[in-house]
Amino acid sequence: MTLEQGTHPRHRLDDLLQNAVRFSIVAALDRAGTLGFREVRDAVEITDSALSKQVAALETAGYVAVGKAFVGKTPRTSLTLTRDGRAAWRGHLDALRQIAGSDQESPGHH
Amino acid sequence: MTDTTTTTGGIDPTGARELLDRADRISRRAHDAVRWPYVTFITALGVATSLGTLAMGLTTGTAFAAVYVGTLAALVALVIGFMLAIRGRSAFASSRRWTVYIASWAVTYCAAIAVVGWVHGSVLWSGVTSGLVLVVALVCAAWESRS
Repeated sequence: MTLEQGTHPRHRLDDLLQNAVRFSIVAALDRAGTLGFREVRDAVEITDSALSKQVAALETAGYVAVGKAFVGKTPRTSLTLTRDGRAAWRGHLDALRQIAGSDQESPGHH
Repeated sequence: MTDTTTTTGGIDPTGARELLDRADRISRRAHDAVRWPYVTFITALGVATSLGTLAMGLTTGTAFAAVYVGTLAALVALVIGFMLAIRGRSAFASSRRWTVYIASWAVTYCAAIAVVGWVHGSVLWSGVTSGLVLVVALVCAAWESRS
């Protein structure tokens, strides 16, 4: 066992969510649950193509479900945070909170 | 966008706090952007039904029928408009918070309709129950807008 495989909270960070864009996409979906493609794009402030690429990665991992519907003749894509995605997000945030609080613990803890 | 997340295991406490702040900021911004149909709906529902029940409680004959049909039409239009506005975001509306809002409104609305049926013509009872419908709906809207 190497030192890197210890109990430090960084080992509990989700690999997929360590990408800034994917992190922001899941953050946008956290409260709302389901949002339109354009709403996520506006919240994350990236291009359509960049969003599509990262959404595909999240969908493949089962973190986000992509829905397709038509409003009249206009296609509308919706993004929903799945149960697995929410669990991964909660775990990732918990690890971040522990890292954020680690410099406030006494030196004897390290 | 500053990428402090791409180096595995390289996040220090300051970086972690920045990421947590960013997550909260983005989440709130995205939620705020889609919340307006919900706040508008509960406010309009309260205004339409309180005015409708008040008018129903104080009118008779043709005027009563006109108010009755007008209130129903307003309710149907509101629900259809709301469903169109939240298309693709139905998960948001099925939250426990929204169940409480609609249940609260329904209880006061039923009370106002009961007054229309049993104490018809009473300005006091119509005013109290219809006012309650409006107050409950506005409190729910205010709560939603601040949540």
